Amino acid sequence: MKRQHIPALAGLLIVAFFMAFPFLYGANDYRYIMSLLIAGFYYAILASSWSMLAGYAGQFSFGHMGFMGVGAYTAALFSHYFYLSPVPTELCTEFLIGNQYLVIVDAIGVTSSTLNQDCLRQALTIWDGSVQVTPMPVWLGIVLGTVMGGLFGLLIGLLVLPLRAAYLALFTLGFSEILRATISGEIAITRGQAGIEMPYLFEQGITLFGRYYDKTDKIPPYFVMFFLLLTCLAILYYLASSKFGLFVRALREDQDAAAALGVNTTRYKIMVFVITSMMAALAGAVMGYYVNIISPNNLMILQMSLVVAMAVIGGIENIFAAAIGAIIIQFVLEILRNSFEIGPFTVDMTIWRLVIFGVLLMLTLRFARNGLIIPIIDYFSRGHVAAETVAKRTAGIDKAEGRS
Amino acid sequence: MTKLVVHNLNKRFGGLHVLKDVNFEIEGPELIGLIGPNGAGKTTLTNILDGAIKPNSGTVYLNDRRIDQLEPYEVARAGLGRTFQVTRSFRRMTVHENLLVPALALDHGLDRTEINDKAMEVLEFLTLDHLRNEYAQSLSGGQQKLLELGRLLMLDADIIILDEPFAGVHPTLMKIIYDYIGRVNDAGTAIILISHQMDSIFSLCKRLLVLDYGNLIADGTPDTVKNDPAVIEAYLGVDDDETDVTTGDQAAP
Amino acid sequence: MEFSYIFWTVLSWMIFWSVVGSFVTRRIYLKRDLDTSNAAFVGSMMGASIGPFGLVPLCLNTPDLTKRLMVAPALAAVAVLMIAFAFADPENYCVTSSSFVASQIVNGLIIGIIYGFMALGLSLIFSILGVVSFAHGEFYMIGGMITYFMTSVWFPGLNPAIAILAACAFTFLLGAVFERLFLTPMYEGKVDRPVEYGILVTFGLAFTLQYFVQATAGANPFKARRYLDFPVLRLPSSEDPWLLRTSRGSLELFEMITISNPRLMAAGTCILVLIALLYFMRRTWTGKALRAVSQDREAAAIAGINPDRMNMLAFALGGMIAALAGAMLVQAFSWLPQVGAIPALRSFVIVVLGGLGSLPGAFLGGIIVGLVEAAGTGCIPDTQRAASYIPAYSMIVLTLTLLLRPTGLFGRRFAGGAHGKF
Repeated sequence: MKRQHIPALAGLLIVAFFMAFPFLYGANDYRYIMSLLIAGFYYAILASSWSMLAGYAGQFSFGHMGFMGVGAYTAALFSHYFYLSPVPTELCTEFLIGNQYLVIVDAIGVTSSTLNQDCLRQALTIWDGSVQVTPMPVWLGIVLGTVMGGLFGLLIGLLVLPLRAAYLALFTLGFSEILRATISGEIAITRGQAGIEMPYLFEQGITLFGRYYDKTDKIPPYFVMFFLLLTCLAILYYLASSKFGLFVRALREDQDAAAALGVNTTRYKIMVFVITSMMAALAGAVMGYYVNIISPNNLMILQMSLVVAMAVIGGIENIFAAAIGAIIIQFVLEILRNSFEIGPFTVDMTIWRLVIFGVLLMLTLRFARNGLIIPIIDYFSRGHVAAETVAKRTAGIDKAEGRS
Repeated sequence: MTKLVVHNLNKRFGGLHVLKDVNFEIEGPELIGLIGPNGAGKTTLTNILDGAIKPNSGTVYLNDRRIDQLEPYEVARAGLGRTFQVTRSFRRMTVHENLLVPALALDHGLDRTEINDKAMEVLEFLTLDHLRNEYAQSLSGGQQKLLELGRLLMLDADIIILDEPFAGVHPTLMKIIYDYIGRVNDAGTAIILISHQMDSIFSLCKRLLVLDYGNLIADGTPDTVKNDPAVIEAYLGVDDDETDVTTGDQAAP
Repeated sequence: MEFSYIFWTVLSWMIFWSVVGSFVTRRIYLKRDLDTSNAAFVGSMMGASIGPFGLVPLCLNTPDLTKRLMVAPALAAVAVLMIAFAFADPENYCVTSSSFVASQIVNGLIIGIIYGFMALGLSLIFSILGVVSFAHGEFYMIGGMITYFMTSVWFPGLNPAIAILAACAFTFLLGAVFERLFLTPMYEGKVDRPVEYGILVTFGLAFTLQYFVQATAGANPFKARRYLDFPVLRLPSSEDPWLLRTSRGSLELFEMITISNPRLMAAGTCILVLIALLYFMRRTWTGKALRAVSQDREAAAIAGINPDRMNMLAFALGGMIAALAGAMLVQAFSWLPQVGAIPALRSFVIVVLGGLGSLPGAFLGGIIVGLVEAAGTGCIPDTQRAASYIPAYSMIVLTLTLLLRPTGLFGRRFAGGAHGKF
């Protein structure tokens, strides 16, 4: 077996491990570990798509969590405000579609008027169980969230076209903050800091391979998130190894030179924004359905910092390194959560772990610029290059001497 | 046959009139030197031809297609390639990947193996074949310059502009670049060569364009240009009147 | 808002003509072979203020775009927006109460001075190191924290001046040490992408500092006591103090403008320190060396200035300026470990608005942002909503700046260095 193949083999082993894990692990903290892994996969999607944006294409956007929020909130608002009813409520805004009414619930927020019920609840009270309304399908919420994320990615991509480096970072950070401000401010619609509730990913439960899983069961969301991660990684890998990857890297290295060689830099810059924001939005929507709530706190700079740090520590220029980094760090951060006592002092590890994490981020940047995982991958996949260069040069010299 | 027509080109930066009614034509695989003191407008002209900046007025036609309002990538696809004054290789991509960028951007319908073969050929010609999988940043300055020229070969351009290809280059590499220019030119590509090294320009080029303060003051064979009084005054007459040339620097955009 | 449709209609009208104006004017100036550098800006402002009535003559006559022609339509556009607001919401305090308006304006100016001062630190770092420090807000936060803890927890009764000095000294050292440890590889060419490295590593610092403070100080808000009480004044006379009336915590001018003590003091201190800083930059050798490095690194090095030393100084000084602003404002606002994020963003906005490396620009930018925030928080009908939108006001200013005049108010045509065109 060649050394170059080891990373691919290791990747297959990791995938096999995660596939088998939920069925092999049986300790008491099963649910806890499973939820850790689901969050880990979620962060892995964000970190790897961010690494495509920042590491490959060189667009240091700090708005990635903003796109996540766009996806999650689109899905949440969709599930919260839209219902199908066979009978008109006569209270809400509603449209007849086929033989069902599309009911748009009015926004009443969480102010004192919450004591009143929204129009649909009022209608349900009047009907008193005689009419069943159907909530919108979850998958449609996810699709809409993803599409909306792509639209926002397109918009932001267009706006930041002339911006580079620090300006881009600032602008995208600002976008994220505006979004957070809007969501916190428009309490009537988004319920502000209280967050907006979302239905379960599988509200009715699901039967897989002859076994029924409850809506709170961890296995279905685990596999949903894991397959999403695999799909995103596959797409990203395909893009990275196709000419798309080549062009965005050229764009990162030297935009003008790339343009002078015929690369439509505008197009690729926007494309990379759209694709990565769609992935972030997708992850956000699915995560929102899984945890049943989304609040503006999910868009805080802390969350963005975590994603950035995960990608940087794993290795920003390799999607797999970023993904693995995210899963490992998510795990380590959770393990470090336990507070302990030294004499009279209680060390509150929930905060100190973040300090440690920040220091680790700075040290990684300073001393291991490629992150901690890329060097390992490179050792196997590029280890032969130096030897090859020397061998070819010697061969070249021999040939030249032989000729003379 | 390659045909570049530059007609009444004007460019202003604020109050500075950097190019004034520049007119010239290139027909067929000519090898043309573009010279002029610092700040004469050479780089501006290159940037306009390349599409990086747009002229205030005037037109540029390449093979009967108007290119002065196109974006740089469209100009490149239309068949005009350029190098930059400062070497701009894609530093953290391998030598081979550097060559793939223009080949894939053009989308000539070649498959990967054909492109790879062509890249290999180019690398052998530039004596870079042993560095194929190294990152461009680990190459020496001169090798990066060769790599940049290699990228242009992959572009299959009808006309290429080489901005100072000899600056800071070792004599051995210089010979390779000379060969490069000769071979590319023989293959039917027109070349505009910008350089401050007069001996190279005079030995390579059959035709010279001289820019001074945005005016195209001479256009002819090296001999006629050498004896043109306007050129001598503006450029070659450095010894007689040094102040003229130094004030030329201020016009740099 | 009573007639909100008026406001939104006017706003859409303005946006429409400003977009049309920016494109058309630029096109026409380009066609006529004129200087286009300000055409888009003037065109959009003309469109926003008087719509087609301004654009048509502008495009027909294509006058030289003087400063006056740039400022007047911009002010007119703001005026139109204000009038529209007044018609849309005639009951609003911002429309009915002149004393409220005057107070808001004065307070906006005062807070703007402090913002400008803080942004100056960022601008200093940027112009010399070429790095946008994402830890600027954390220096601000730490300045306030140290001052609070020294005056209220560790040494109650300590003179605030000593605490402020200590906060400045500490942040100066912190900045210097961080620069030596983490930013040096940038100039030695060891980093592939120095600008991005700078962003990420200061981001890491911000993260670390914020949670370090949270871990040690907790997440409860603090508020320092007033450093100084005003003397009780009644001018011109105690019977009829129409000119000036003070209490210990605030001051009232003309019986309509109320200014709180901490803010006034903070602004005063900022102005004093600014004057000292100006003296330092213009008159001392070190200050001149700093300016030299900001203009041309290599040339300065040849002239015998050690640019590395200047980097350290600039980063430390920039952090210290932020810390000073924090130390002065900890008596005005309640203080949390997260308190730095919004001022940091705001400083970025001001630096971009004012033009990179421009000192008057930073100040004017600070005042503009101060006024915009005062207008935003004061005039948006729902107070809770207005407060949530605080970070958004400055971001709107940033977006407009980047779209209309990316070089900022006093910016050089292109900012040099590794930041490329922008």
